[in-house]
Amino acid sequence: MDKIKLRQICFLFAGMMPLTKMIVYPAMLAYQAKNDLLLAAFGNFLLEGAVIALVMFLASRTDCTFFDLLQNTFGKIGAKIIYGLFAAFFLFSAILPVLEQKAFVLQVFYENVPSFLSFAPFFAVSFFASVKGFKSIGRAADLALPVTAISLAVILLLSLPQAEFSALLPVGGAGAKGIFSGSLYGLNWYTDCLYPLFFLGHFKYEKHGAAKVMLAYAAGTAVVLLFLTVFYGIFSDIALRQINTIAQISKYTTAYTTLGRIDLFFIFAAALPLVFYLCVPIQMCVHCIRKIAPACNPVFPAAAVNGAMLLAAIFLNYSFFEVQTLFTQKLWWVFALFCYAVPILSLLLKRGKGERHE
Amino acid sequence: MNKFWTRVLLIAAAALFLLFFSNDFGLINIQQTTIVTAIGIDRSQEEGKIDVSAQIAVPNESKASSVLVQGAETVGEAIAEFNGKTGWYPTLVHCRLVLLGAEAVSENVFASLDYFLRSEFVEDSCLVAVCETTAAETLQANSPVGDLPSSAITKVLSSQAQKTGQVSVCNLRDFAKGYFSDSASGYLPVISVKKEASKEGGNQSSGNSQGADSASGGSQSADGSGASAQSSNDSDVFDASKTALFFQGKRVAELTAEETLAFNLADTKTDFAYGDIEVFENGSKVTYNLKMKIGKKSMKLKFEDGVPVFTFRIRAKAQISDADKASGIVEVAKTALVPAHVLRAAEEMFRAQLQSAFEKTRESGCDLFRLRQKLYRFCYPQYASHRETLLQDARIFYDIRFDTLR
Amino acid sequence: MHCSRGGRPRLIAAGVFLFSADILQTIFAAPTNGAAFPILAHERQFFAQTCNVEKINNSQKETKPRSSGFSDRLARNVQKVKELLPAEDILVYSFCAKDGTECAAVYADGITDKELLGQLTAKPLSLAPAPKSAEEAEKLLLFPESRQAEDMQEAVSEILSGNPALFIDGIAAAIVLGTKKVALRAVTEPQTAITVKGPREGFIEDVKTNMGLVRRRLKTPDLRFESIVVGRRSKTVVCIAYLHGIADEKVIEEIRCRIRAIDIDGVPDSSYIGQFLAKKPYSLFKQVGTTEKPDILCAKMLEGRVGILCDGSPIALTLPYMLSEDFQSSQDYFVSPYRASVSRALRWIAVAAALFLPAFYVAAQLFKLQLLPFGLLLTVSGGIRDLPLSPSLEMFLLLLILEILIEASVRMPKYVALALSVIGALVLGDTAVKAGLVSSSAIIIVALSGISAYTVPDLTGTLSVVRIAYLLVAGSIGTYGIILLTALILYYLVTSDSYGTPLLAPFSPLIRRDLRDSVFKADIYALSERPAVFRPRNKRRLKVENRT
Repeated sequence: MDKIKLRQICFLFAGMMPLTKMIVYPAMLAYQAKNDLLLAAFGNFLLEGAVIALVMFLASRTDCTFFDLLQNTFGKIGAKIIYGLFAAFFLFSAILPVLEQKAFVLQVFYENVPSFLSFAPFFAVSFFASVKGFKSIGRAADLALPVTAISLAVILLLSLPQAEFSALLPVGGAGAKGIFSGSLYGLNWYTDCLYPLFFLGHFKYEKHGAAKVMLAYAAGTAVVLLFLTVFYGIFSDIALRQINTIAQISKYTTAYTTLGRIDLFFIFAAALPLVFYLCVPIQMCVHCIRKIAPACNPVFPAAAVNGAMLLAAIFLNYSFFEVQTLFTQKLWWVFALFCYAVPILSLLLKRGKGERHE
Repeated sequence: MNKFWTRVLLIAAAALFLLFFSNDFGLINIQQTTIVTAIGIDRSQEEGKIDVSAQIAVPNESKASSVLVQGAETVGEAIAEFNGKTGWYPTLVHCRLVLLGAEAVSENVFASLDYFLRSEFVEDSCLVAVCETTAAETLQANSPVGDLPSSAITKVLSSQAQKTGQVSVCNLRDFAKGYFSDSASGYLPVISVKKEASKEGGNQSSGNSQGADSASGGSQSADGSGASAQSSNDSDVFDASKTALFFQGKRVAELTAEETLAFNLADTKTDFAYGDIEVFENGSKVTYNLKMKIGKKSMKLKFEDGVPVFTFRIRAKAQISDADKASGIVEVAKTALVPAHVLRAAEEMFRAQLQSAFEKTRESGCDLFRLRQKLYRFCYPQYASHRETLLQDARIFYDIRFDTLR
Repeated sequence: MHCSRGGRPRLIAAGVFLFSADILQTIFAAPTNGAAFPILAHERQFFAQTCNVEKINNSQKETKPRSSGFSDRLARNVQKVKELLPAEDILVYSFCAKDGTECAAVYADGITDKELLGQLTAKPLSLAPAPKSAEEAEKLLLFPESRQAEDMQEAVSEILSGNPALFIDGIAAAIVLGTKKVALRAVTEPQTAITVKGPREGFIEDVKTNMGLVRRRLKTPDLRFESIVVGRRSKTVVCIAYLHGIADEKVIEEIRCRIRAIDIDGVPDSSYIGQFLAKKPYSLFKQVGTTEKPDILCAKMLEGRVGILCDGSPIALTLPYMLSEDFQSSQDYFVSPYRASVSRALRWIAVAAALFLPAFYVAAQLFKLQLLPFGLLLTVSGGIRDLPLSPSLEMFLLLLILEILIEASVRMPKYVALALSVIGALVLGDTAVKAGLVSSSAIIIVALSGISAYTVPDLTGTLSVVRIAYLLVAGSIGTYGIILLTALILYYLVTSDSYGTPLLAPFSPLIRRDLRDSVFKADIYALSERPAVFRPRNKRRLKVENRT
């Protein structure tokens, strides 16, 4: 139930990760880093890539799960406490993406008077996925890759003729401060590096496994950077108001054709991997809780976590910008701590019995 | 499936059925919606207010209805009023055209246009144009082929029209990009309605059904709003060969049809254009109509000895399309070959038109050729020092070469 | 795997007189033909209902022979049989041997070949003095398919199967004679799997004939049949067919155990067995593959699947099942790979259209007008302007009518079907549009969706239900509901498996090699290995070196 394949981790990075950075993130970057948004994003990718590389290095050295490693070092109680903290973090880190996707859905999928009711069933899907464990993450990634590849390819191809790439010039025009703040405030969108840490011991490390994962991550990075390039090339000075970016960039080519907004179907298709990926932090949270209370039927933590997320989404329904400001500009250190510091420190954990002898 | 999942499924299905059959949760479906194809914004007689007219597509009929709201503070208010007055909910997702009345553009148009940028349910891919008269009148025009006026104007402003250089097409996104850029400049095509010959008994569906009381072609309004449909048998054609220049959201100048063509040859996506060139041959004036295929075009800003130099570079192949003289059979046979003096005359004409257009931008402050943008992007070190004075300081070079097929 | 109900006493008793495991294997592998004598098979059935061969052999050693229940008096034997089988169709054929000894054959009328019985039993006995023992009687009869019944119970069950029991006065035994004769229909092309090119044989209701059809295509000792009797009252023979060395032993064992565990009074059709074999019997999606064609069954067995034939049913079951196999047609393998690939792509597109078209049509009208191009929007909007129903209810009603028409046309006599289609398509549809009840565009959408669903006949039932579900979410939640339902279905499918084979393989989990025969079909040389998803022990099916 909790097994995942290395290939599926690769697909997670190449096929699902890029889409999450195509909704509000480009507009935020354009606001902070202006035409230097690529540099700001690249900085984040480098940092996250380095953490993933370290985690994969750890995976090549041990067969233990992250929980086992913590248990070897801090004992069972210590491991459970840390997992409890991570459960809280995953729940916390899912809030902004949920609100982001809710806003995306209500704007892009509806025209007239959309209500929260239209988004709420997401939590039913997420509940089902949470009960199913890591297997569902991996297998969903298998399906997500071709869907993402086709829809993004079409959307980008439709958008390319509208893009004016000189909009990205001059390099460094936004200044170091703009680039840095773009990177810093974008940390909320870079929690992906944590997933391989929790997949430790749940997948079989293959020869050149780290290279494969890094290659997939690089592919995902390239797609995001290309997307950002096209996005800024199309909107330049008004880029910062283009939230729900993925739904904005291709409409100029299709709006006046006989077929109409044919790109909407590809945007809708891309929403499927987005749903899959939005479930991942919630699934991770449920996974952590199940590690803390292994005897518990997975239905209960899944129901509790999704219920909590539903309540948070209802409570924060009209506070997206406040939440975004809070998460990106005030609480960035939480993301830095959990997503970067902890995985790096995990290299120091005792590997114990599960150590791989090659 | 165990009992738990069975129960979950049953509850979900019950909820779904309830939602499906009640179908009453603030839903506004296609049966309650009017499809707005164009919006016209005019300055109201009341100070500081606007008149907004919306053209509505009526299914199964080629006629269009227009709804006019007078004296609204904002476009949003007017749109809300449409709903209140007619009972139909206007949907703007298929709104392809925003027309600005001649008087509306004397003030910052973004006071009205930003509605379209703010709204999540209006696309900024719609075309924007300025009317020679009022937008409401323009939307009442009769297309000679029975199109909706908005459709006819949209065709005049199509990307195909842009490619031939007759029109400088601009959508809301591009116009907003220019406005919100450092140069705060932009351009919009000017739509003028020209009466054509009356169509006796023709166009039954579009005109006659409306009755005599609306035959004036204007829109009715009652209590500040009303509805009418175009009705005259006179057919109208649209012309968009002129281009209005904007600076800080206000109309500041206008390019003539020739200047528009020259601008399109130099800057926009025009790659195939027709133009009339006048030359003197054997002491008499001869007009050649040239077909020009643009091979290469660029506008470059560079600094020479600290002075900004802006260079237009156009390379085009030309061939004779027609001439207003009786030619011999050999000349007709070699119609693709353009005499050198005609080519030079063409170069000179476009140089003159471009220069004229550039002078207008200098005078009006409208950075039509996006010099400031180029300064920022390609000459960033000089940006701070030349930002304000660039339009005035720049030395302009016109490197235009026309060549004939060989 | 756990077999909880493997050995009921009477079954063990039935297996007692039987064979060693080796002999059994040989018999199973032996070629058979359609009219094969079923006695041995029945013995195997009883035998196989206990847990496994070795276990039975052990139990055989331990079990003491019990009383057969036969008397040396003919009248008592016949009376006993009549007591056990009081039905009217159980007849007694009495005759005398040359020496005047009374003999009687008890048989079930209608399923016994009476002519054969007279020719091969009554005639030789009436020409010779009565035999003194059962063995002597068997020698006298020279009947190729005769044997002694172990006890009265067995004799009775053989009579019910169509094999008469012969009683001779003075001999305390019953000789079972293999003269079963059941009226069978011809081997014809099945209605549900018609091909333009390719074999036209289809399974019939007789399991023996069906086994023969399979054997005719797979003349290998590796083809194994294992028969199990299921049904307390129907005593239906269920036969597991597989290729030894290719099919996964774990799958075979699990199937064996599940079939043995069935404790039901009757099995009218293989679909009953299918429901017992399905791990999630409430699932909306199929859990077990089906086919009516022996060529398809053989092809599937060659890929590593296990076939299940059920007496009385022309539909063979195959396991493990993958969703993608329903998109394959036998014809795909008889035409060029390009044509096959196009056909398959069409099927996928058609299924997508069948599912999503009504839903998106409704969602577009209710929630997202932009989905409709401007010209189409005007047409649709004009068509529905004065309709009394909302777009969602209109579509629901039409889909309901479609399902009713399908249901009615399936059950109606053929000669009425034409009239029904005229009424359904022309009268109902046309009049409804003219009356302003529904729009013509909605009818087109429903018709297209309905036709599209039939490009994959095995999935039609599932598609109908899922299509309604999509319509409900589209009409209530909207466009995003369609995406969410798709996500939910995919989550369900990716976490479901059929006997260790993921339902959505080879897409999820992705098995690159198996993709060659999925959405597209590669040429025959590219399919040189069996699908990896079935974990076959023998992977190679084609030697590419011999390619010319």
